[in-house]
Amino acid sequence: MFAVVVSGGTNRGTPARLIVLVLTIGVVAALLALFIGDFVVRGPESLTASPATVAQGNTPAQNAFVHLEVVGSVAAAITFPRPDDPHPTWVSYLPTTILKVPANSTVTMQIDQEDTPSGLRNPFWSQAFGIEGGTFHMTYFDDQGAPQQGDFSSIPDAATAAHTFAIPDLGVFVPLEGVNAAAPAGSMNVITFSFKTGKAGLYHWQCFVPCGSGTIYGNGGPMQTLGYMAGFLIVQ
Amino acid sequence: MTGPTRTHALRLLIAWAVLSVVGVLLALQLRLPPGDQSQQSIDESGLLQLMTVISTPVFIGVVLFVLYSVVVFRQKRGALEDGPPSYGNFRVQVAWVAITAVIVLILAGIGIGELAGRANGTNFASSNQPSLATTGSVGTTEANALQIQVIAQQWYFTYRYPDYAGVESLHLMLPVNANVVIHVTSTDILHSWWAYELGVKADANPGVDNITYLTTLRTGSFTVRCAELCGIWHGNMVDTNGAVVSQADFATWVADLQKSSANVTLPPYSQYYFPSPRVKGT
Amino acid sequence: MATATLGTGGPTLQASERQMVLPTNLLTGIVLAAVGYYVGVQIGNGFGFNDGLNTGVLLGYTFGSVMFLVGVGFANYPLARLFGWPIAPQSAGDEYRGAWRFLNLSLDHKVIGIQYLVAMLMAMFFGGIGAMLIRTNLLSPDQLVVPPDKYLVLVSMHSVMMIFVASAAIVGPFGNFFVPYMIGTNRMAFPRLEALSFWLVPPAIVILLAAPLFGGFPTGWTGYAPLSEQAGQGFDSYIVGFALIGTALCVSGVNMLTTVISLRAPGMTWTRLPIFVWGVFSASILGTFAAPILASAVIMQGFDRSMNTSFFISSNGGSPYLWENLFWFFGHPEVYIFILPAFGIVMELIPHFARKPLWGYRTAVVGLLGVTLLSWFVWQHHLFVSGIAPALRPFYMFSTEMISIPTGIVFLVAFGTLWRAKISMTVPMLFCLGFLFNFLIGGLSGVFLSDVPSDVTLHGSYFSMAHFHFTIVGGEIFAIVAAIYYWFPKMTGRMLNMTLGKIHFWWMMIAFNLAFMPLFAAGILDMPRRVSTYAPSLQGLNDWVSFWAYLLFASMLLFAVNVIWSWFFNPKVAPADPWHVRSIEWTLPTPLPRRNFERIPTFTSGPYDYGNPSPRPAADLGSEPAPA
Repeated sequence: MFAVVVSGGTNRGTPARLIVLVLTIGVVAALLALFIGDFVVRGPESLTASPATVAQGNTPAQNAFVHLEVVGSVAAAITFPRPDDPHPTWVSYLPTTILKVPANSTVTMQIDQEDTPSGLRNPFWSQAFGIEGGTFHMTYFDDQGAPQQGDFSSIPDAATAAHTFAIPDLGVFVPLEGVNAAAPAGSMNVITFSFKTGKAGLYHWQCFVPCGSGTIYGNGGPMQTLGYMAGFLIVQ
Repeated sequence: MTGPTRTHALRLLIAWAVLSVVGVLLALQLRLPPGDQSQQSIDESGLLQLMTVISTPVFIGVVLFVLYSVVVFRQKRGALEDGPPSYGNFRVQVAWVAITAVIVLILAGIGIGELAGRANGTNFASSNQPSLATTGSVGTTEANALQIQVIAQQWYFTYRYPDYAGVESLHLMLPVNANVVIHVTSTDILHSWWAYELGVKADANPGVDNITYLTTLRTGSFTVRCAELCGIWHGNMVDTNGAVVSQADFATWVADLQKSSANVTLPPYSQYYFPSPRVKGT
Repeated sequence: MATATLGTGGPTLQASERQMVLPTNLLTGIVLAAVGYYVGVQIGNGFGFNDGLNTGVLLGYTFGSVMFLVGVGFANYPLARLFGWPIAPQSAGDEYRGAWRFLNLSLDHKVIGIQYLVAMLMAMFFGGIGAMLIRTNLLSPDQLVVPPDKYLVLVSMHSVMMIFVASAAIVGPFGNFFVPYMIGTNRMAFPRLEALSFWLVPPAIVILLAAPLFGGFPTGWTGYAPLSEQAGQGFDSYIVGFALIGTALCVSGVNMLTTVISLRAPGMTWTRLPIFVWGVFSASILGTFAAPILASAVIMQGFDRSMNTSFFISSNGGSPYLWENLFWFFGHPEVYIFILPAFGIVMELIPHFARKPLWGYRTAVVGLLGVTLLSWFVWQHHLFVSGIAPALRPFYMFSTEMISIPTGIVFLVAFGTLWRAKISMTVPMLFCLGFLFNFLIGGLSGVFLSDVPSDVTLHGSYFSMAHFHFTIVGGEIFAIVAAIYYWFPKMTGRMLNMTLGKIHFWWMMIAFNLAFMPLFAAGILDMPRRVSTYAPSLQGLNDWVSFWAYLLFASMLLFAVNVIWSWFFNPKVAPADPWHVRSIEWTLPTPLPRRNFERIPTFTSGPYDYGNPSPRPAADLGSEPAPA
């Protein structure tokens, strides 16, 4: 006779079936936990901005300071080494890309830029927008490898950009010049700028240089993974 | 309960007529988005409302018929009677197909009329050249329509104004009462530029100049979103700072933009910008 | 589960007939799949293409799937022919008894139907979990329950899983199980192809579920290039998964078409064919001819990712439009693969529970075939704003709106059958009526999307998302649930609990409509699809939707409890004909005999001849019909 589980009208097999059912539910629940856990487990740690040590002009009610490092490959980090990273060859901001800053305050950022230039696809992004005073301060190396510094509202050549730091919803876009090939090994460009945070909320930030090499148009991999070139600014 | 067919049909017809009139009157009160900021959004609001009006009697008719049938033509409890063995009615079938065909033809006629009467929507290629109208009011005629280029990139839309030496802007500013030709292109993958209140949407393709047309009618801000999945920040690709402003304000704004853009060297204006060749490996 | 009394009803097979060429079963399949995967990865990585190791994963999945099929036993017959070994006339699976045979290769269409049903319900469960996670994330626009990169992976997993389910969940379980009965044959035309069409599905589901282990893919089910080419190795799951499902659809379609055309019993004329068979038949036409396009298109994506071709990369001379067109040229017939068998189920069940002949049978067939034909000419309505040549748009707008004519016929046939009928409000009937309501909304909203100017606003928004959920969930899933309530007694020998069934219907109907109706508003109010964040003003609406979506999921859990309890713990055997209907499968005893028919029946009338003054038997079964 064709039937899936036919017991011939008795309850004889019920305990056995109950055990099978409980076991099956257990296995399915375990699989589900894995499936769900894969999506809801948070990735990178968050970094809370420290109270400001760099005063900028008119001191507002609150100041905050964030120090980041941006490297061509995670394994080459100087300031914030991240051992055992699953993608040691990926380009990344360090130590993390989840930043917590206070609302309605001025945030000063210092970015140690250690990567070499890869160039902007849209040269428009070589301008800085939305930062205090309209300029950022940068120490860098000229073509002779000599250290230089100055205040800029844009970088002169889009092809020498290594990355940008951009929070589109706050209108903040800052180009980060790549380390000149003539600079001594292990050098970094230090870029400092400030911007105002508005009301509390969740703002994303990203890079506009297609720096995720190994993926088409350079926008995959690290560009689309939290903790590398993509992050959140949690304004609270 | 069951009377002659004519009685059932008459009851249904009267109920349907009454409810449909009420439904259509209610549907006519709706003011559907996207609004009245441009000719395109007026057209789309009107069309959405028209479809709602046409759908209402259809919806009411189907629901009414099914409800009436299951209430009136019920099997008695515990009984197992068969219904009348009717296998179809040729006239009713022909009439039904004819009516649906007429509705479809009307809808298609309206849609095609909209498409033919106005350069509304997207266009694959066009010989439209920038009008170079750098002085006075722009876009007052089809000939001197304001040209805008939308450049999509992961994950932001920027805007170039080829009529004004190709300056590029973070937000889209448009003069009011102007004909605008929008060229949408992408530097990487597919995006879709959707200016909600303006009633325009066009996909951004790398290596393609996708053209859409716009006639602004009212000042005010609008929201731009990306409507094609483009990766991690697709949902955040929103800009609420775009605005339609008066002709005078627009002239001031664009002059300021030209001044502030003096220190950036942009590539020459082009219908599209081929992204850098495929990067693979390493 | 070992208490099944199997093999006692039909004739026993000779020992020599059960001789197997190779000892194959599910375990050898899994072992060989693992070996195949390992070998494929090694070979692929050994090629040395510097491509993010996609070649290895692609070859691993491909080799693994092929070796799985070999291990399950698909190579036995060809190898036996090749080497002149004795050939087993029956399937290897017939050797197994009890539940174990459902886990192994079987050429019995009834076993394959059950296999499909269980696999589809489990896949649907995982897809549903994905939907719950999506709704949980959308409870708030700015709380990170699921990070945005993982959110896209989640959306993609949910969509692809549900597409897998939707494309096979009617033709697979119910088509394979009941089409041979309905047309009066003991088997399908190509039982091995039938088994293959099932055994391609589990590898596809496993490969899809493996995608998050490789980082997942962010493209949704459309897999638009070049976004897909930015994705990591997770996207290789999409490629191989869809290639397997496309092959399964094509293989199953060929088998169904041949069976219906050539194996109909005497007297089963084309005009006596049950309308459900017509639904399966028309969907099989689409599956046969549309699915190969998908399979070839995803293979092109695989070449782009592994061999550095540039089919879809414009900077190297390819075009993203190529993918859009290939995908939707498959994709639009695909959605009719979902809905045509659902039409079949609804038009099959309504006459039985209205106890009235199917009104306008020939018109209904014309409607189904009309949809089948028209579905090939509408695909560019997915590309209205993509930048297609403007001259093409009126044509695709018109052809899309034309589809409402044959679809309207389905409603006409349902109306004509309900008119002056004797309607029993059984649970399957309730779900059929629910289908009519939901599909009406789905269809009407489709008209909004078909018109180019209004599509400009609605395209890619939650409006279109609500539209296709109304047609697929409110349409196809409601039809599937109706079919399960209706055919479950015949398939498993157990009735489902109908009180729970009524609660399930009202719960699901209300929760579904309250969950998805507001999404039309969300779309009109400027909410694009597949976003992990949205305008804060829409939070109330999204919370409402999430609340009812949870309740919708809970109603499906109630259904699952009903199915599991009735199937495994209800000792009462269902009567042979619990619904008192004329369709031939109900004239056979429950549980069904091993062989469908001892003598091929001669059909003397159609399946819907209710109210006929001199009711003839539905078929001459060659013996006394089983007592009701």
